[in-house]
This record gives sequence, structure tokens and C-alpha cells, in this order.
Amino acid sequence: MKAVKIVLALLLVAAGCVMFAACKGADNGIAGLVERIGASGFVKESHLAENNRAKILKNIDKHLDELTVEGSDATELFLYRNAHYGVALGAFLAALGAAIAVCALCAREKVRRAALGLALVAALFAGLYALETALGDGSMLITVLKKGVIYALIAVSMNLLNGFTGLFSLGQAGFMLIGAYTYAIFTIPQEARAQVYQYFDGGLVQFTLPVLPAIVLAGVAAVVFAFLIGLPVLRLKGDYLAIATLGFAEIIRALFQYDKLGPVTNGSNLLRKFPTFDTVLFPFAVVAVCIAIILLLIHSSYGRAFKAIRDDEVAAEAMGINLFLHKQLSFVISSFFAGVGGALLAMYQTTVQANAFKSSMTYEILLIVVIGGMGSVTGSVIASFLFIACSEWLLRFLDVEQFIGSVQVPLLRSGFRMVVFSIVIMIVVLFFRKGIMGDKELSLSWLTGGKKRKEGAVK
Amino acid sequence: MSKNVLKVNDVTMQFGGVVAVNNLSMEVNEGEIVALIGPNGAGKTTIFNCITGVYEPTNGEVWFDGEQIAANHPQGKMKKLYAGENNDKYTKVLRLTPDKITQRGIARTFQNIRLFRTQTVFENVLIAMHCRRKSNVFTATFHLNWREERAMREETMKLLEIVGLTDEKDELATSLPYGKQRRLEIARALATKPKLLMLDEPAAGMNPQETVELAKFIVEIQRQFNLTVFLIEHHMDLVMGISNRIYVIDFGKKIAEGTPAEIQDNPDVIAAYLGVDEE
Repeated sequence: MKAVKIVLALLLVAAGCVMFAACKGADNGIAGLVERIGASGFVKESHLAENNRAKILKNIDKHLDELTVEGSDATELFLYRNAHYGVALGAFLAALGAAIAVCALCAREKVRRAALGLALVAALFAGLYALETALGDGSMLITVLKKGVIYALIAVSMNLLNGFTGLFSLGQAGFMLIGAYTYAIFTIPQEARAQVYQYFDGGLVQFTLPVLPAIVLAGVAAVVFAFLIGLPVLRLKGDYLAIATLGFAEIIRALFQYDKLGPVTNGSNLLRKFPTFDTVLFPFAVVAVCIAIILLLIHSSYGRAFKAIRDDEVAAEAMGINLFLHKQLSFVISSFFAGVGGALLAMYQTTVQANAFKSSMTYEILLIVVIGGMGSVTGSVIASFLFIACSEWLLRFLDVEQFIGSVQVPLLRSGFRMVVFSIVIMIVVLFFRKGIMGDKELSLSWLTGGKKRKEGAVK
Repeated sequence: MSKNVLKVNDVTMQFGGVVAVNNLSMEVNEGEIVALIGPNGAGKTTIFNCITGVYEPTNGEVWFDGEQIAANHPQGKMKKLYAGENNDKYTKVLRLTPDKITQRGIARTFQNIRLFRTQTVFENVLIAMHCRRKSNVFTATFHLNWREERAMREETMKLLEIVGLTDEKDELATSLPYGKQRRLEIARALATKPKLLMLDEPAAGMNPQETVELAKFIVEIQRQFNLTVFLIEHHMDLVMGISNRIYVIDFGKKIAEGTPAEIQDNPDVIAAYLGVDEE
């Protein structure tokens, strides 16, 4: 039985790899194919060079009756037409096969679950790749996914602080701002600096970092600020802490617009021309790694200490948990990921300006955390996609004046969307205080109908 | 000759004008079970809080295992307000937070049970192991401390077995019946690997049957873990049954100390508990 499983798994891996290679190959062979079917006249060289699938296929389809597509060429064209699905499916099959093999070889529950989880992540990425290639860049869904996943990271980082450690902090926008600026300042290409910093003689920073180190640096910069702010502020409790952190975020926003700091921050002018991402896979990959780290932290000894502080500070301290150290730790780690989220948001927006990081941004994230459920990572992720989808896409119609026949629909005008959101917040706080998930997690065993199991409680 | 584990010297705790504990001295020796009794509002829990670092005593000092863990003398506004004795005896000021004191080896339970309410029974005990960790946040996050983690979990299971909560380990701590919550609190305190276990009214709200079991249980764990036990209690059967020595306080002042037999016949104690005739 075991051998059969392993053989099956290896077959799956092989099939996945073959499919992946074949579809990738179809991509490479497109120039030759276009030549052979006599479509060279219709397809632009530049489109071929950058493998612009949508444009190439559109041009071929337009002149399909003039072309001679026969035999193997037809197969190849079909392959090319559906290559992105093939690549995605191939990658997924390979991952699935690997997961089955791991499950067959290793009986330990933990390893099995990890393998299954990784297969799911692979499926997610394969699906995203296919979706993005199929829909093209301008699709609203892709935009929502990009922004949603960035907000998911920031919401989870805020949940670590508010939901898991019980510190009611509202400084998230400030740390995002620091992250966004740090990323932008250190990645603007050398040749673009003179133009971006036109009022400040090209600025002070005269070197450029690669993208990934800059993202990490963005987190580190937020950590430095969080550490310094945390020293005095974390001695406060409850609402006072919220007010102090909110004040900090506002101060940071004002500080970054200060003219004297212009050579570094470009004053109140935009920062732009820094590298951005062109595929939805990039933010998903970064966020997946970050959320995985947060999850690992929450399930470690330190995560348990955080939850103990949330539940009962006095008892936690009596059990030997150093309150200040652990609060500071949670604050700093949360800020790190807020900084990384800020850097990703800068990439998404392609420009950075301090004015965008208003306290309303913090409230948006707080709303996501509350809707998702305080103390639930999966809740925050689900809620952020929901929230972004509604605010960017589904509820846009509320901001536009609409007519039915000749009658104008009442209330619909610019800004009405925010009114609806406010009402939603009130309803959530009044009737669904626990949010979508409460403090539970959406997990594999939950999905497969098993009993909800808490960590460390495998019977 | 057994040595002092806990030594309280002339501790006064004054809140504004109210003297909650007045010039109290006491000792707890290694391996003893010592009880602290007194009428309601006598200041018993206040002393516990002074020893465990929740409160900073106004005057006096506390020694644990040969080291000072708290010391203070009236300062600032308290200089004028101070109504206790030994005003100029102490000059040192030492304040340790409760977590530092727990790490030195004093563990406590609470009068009004304070369990981590969103956590399971198992996790409640596991959390208390955190203070003996050797890992830092990086090794813990990336689970490089799996050996330590496994040892923690095994030890937690052992402790739960000892207190008899193995079957309930996956239940929410607050869903347990009252007596079991008390036991869980003791298990959690034991998980910090203490030398001195301080129990604040462990039998509160228990029926006679449960109280008898608890008394047995306390003696059992005291032997098994080589503990010194210092407890506050109102159930006289329990106190007289298990303690080696008893301190009695009333209105913050020590009114008697001695063996259970001595205390039972002490006229001051009887007066404090039953009141005296006016004539």
C-alpha cells in the first residue's frame, strides 16, 4: 500500500514536471510557431520579445482564417493558448505529489500537516499565477488581491499586538509610513534621484539597495522607532496606550514632511521611481513568509506568554513572565511586520507621500482586525480581502450617482461608501463583537470536519 | 538545624493613612508547612503581596533563601504620613518585580482564582514553564528549541497527572469545576519550579470532603517536590491538620505564633476570632 502510494506520488511529481516543462516550452517556441503559421505579419516584434500573450493571441485570432494552422502547429497553438493553466497545474501536481510522498513516508502528524499545508500554498500560488496570466494586468480582481494581501500582513501584525498580547495600540500607520519611506529612500535608482529630489539637490542618500534587503531594512527601521517609543509608552495601559501610540503616528507623519529633513525624506513631495512589483506573486510570497513567521511565533513559548499577558497580567507576572520585556518584544515584532507591510504598500502604490498614512489608515486596519476577530490570524486575512474587495471594488457604486430610469437613487454620492462602512463597524461592534472567526483559527482539521483541536492537545 | 527560607523583618504596609500590615516579622523554615490565619481584613493577602513583589512594603525587608528580595523605608510623602514603627531602622531600598521573585523560586496562587481564561488546562501549566526557558525569541520562533519544548510538554503532562487533571487537559481552564480550578492553579505554580509555595486560601469555597482531599494533596506535593509551604487559610481543620507552625494576625499586627496546639488555647486568638466581652 505504502509502495503504491509512493509510486503514485512520484508519478504525480513526474507528470507535473513534464507538464510544467511542456507549457514553458510552448512559451519559448512561440516565435517559431508564429513564423510557421505565417502570422509574422500580424504579430508585432515587440509583443513577441516580451511574450505578451494577450496581444499575440488577439492578433492571431483576428487573422485566423488567413493562417494555416494544421497538425502539430494546432496542438502547439493550443498549448500556448493555455500555457499558464498548464504551468500552474504542473507546479501544483508536482507539489501535491511531493506532499503525498512525504505523508506516505512519514507517519508523524505534524509533518503530515505541514506537507499538506505546503501543498495548499503551492495550489494557491499556482492558482494565482494562472489567474493573473488569464485576466491580465488591468483586472480589478488582481488589484484587490495585491492590496488585500498587503493589508492582510499589516492586519495580522496589528492582531499580534491587539489580539494576542492585549495591547491596544493605534500606531500602525506610523510604522507603515516609516517602512514605506525607508524602502523608497534606499531603492530609488541613482539616475532618478536628481529628478525625484529636485528641490533638494538629489538628496543625501547616494546609493541604492536591492529590493529584498531594502524591505528588510524597512522593517528594521520601524523596529528602531518602536523600541524607542516602547520604552516610555508601554508602561501605559488600555486607552492611554492607544492615545499615546496614535499621537506617535501623527507626530511621525508631520516629522517626515518637515522641510529641514527634505534631503532624506523629500519633504512633503512625492517619492517615486523606486522599483515596484509587476506580478501578484511577489507580495503574496513576501506576506506568506511573514505570516508564517508570525504564526510560528504565536505557537512558540513566547506566543503563549503573550496570550497569558492578554488573559491576566497579574497572573502572568506571578508566573515569572517579565511583562515589560514581553510587551516590548510584541510591540517591536509587530512594528517590524508593519514596516515590511508599509514597504509593500509603497511598491503597490508606486509613490510614497506621508500624507497618505493618516490615522484613518490605522482605523481601516483596526476595522479589519475587529471584523476578522481579535486573536485570529486567519480571521484577519479573510477580513482584509473582504474589506479591500468591498472598498476598492464591490461598493464603489455607492460613490457614484445612479439613475433608475430618470429617477436618481437617493443617498448615492461621493463619500457615501464611508457612511456605509461606519454603519458596518457599528453593527459589527454591537452584534458580532467576536468578528468572523472569534479567536479561533481556520485550520486543516477544521476544514476536513475534524473536531477543533487546540495546539499541543493531540489526543 | 533547618535554615530560614523566608524571613520577613518588621514589614509595614501603609496605604495612605491606613496601616494594613503593622511591623510584622515572621520566618518560614525549610521543609515546613506554615499557616497564616486571621479574621477577614487582617492583612494576610497584603503580606503575600509584599513578599511576592506585587506591593512595595512601606518599611522593612524581606529575605528569601539568604538573599534580600525587598527592602524599603518611608520616603517622600510617606515620611510625614508614616504611622508604623522602626522608622529609621532600614536605609536600603530594593524592589524586584513579581516575575523576578518567581524566578528566584517563590510561586503563588491567588485568593480569587486567576487562570488564563482563554487557554486550555494544558496550556495554563505550559505557560508557567516559560520562566525557566533557556531559548530566546529567535530559537523559539523557528522551533530550534524543540528539545526544550518537548521537555516542557512532558513535564506539564507529569504535573497534570500529579494533580489529577489529565482527562481534562484539553478543556478550557475556566470550564472546570471550582475545586479543579484550585488544583490547576497549584499545578501552574509548581510548573515554575519553586522552593517556596505560597497558597492564598486554597480551600476557599470547597466542601468538607474536598478540603480533606486538599489537605492530603498539599502534604503530598510538599514531600514530593521538597517544598516549603506558606499558606493563608480559613478552614481551621485544614490549618490545624497539616501545618507545623501557625502565625495569627489581626489588624495587621501579629498576635500569636506557635504550634497548632499552642494557638488553639491562646486567649488572644480566641478574642480576635470570637470577640471579648465588654466588661
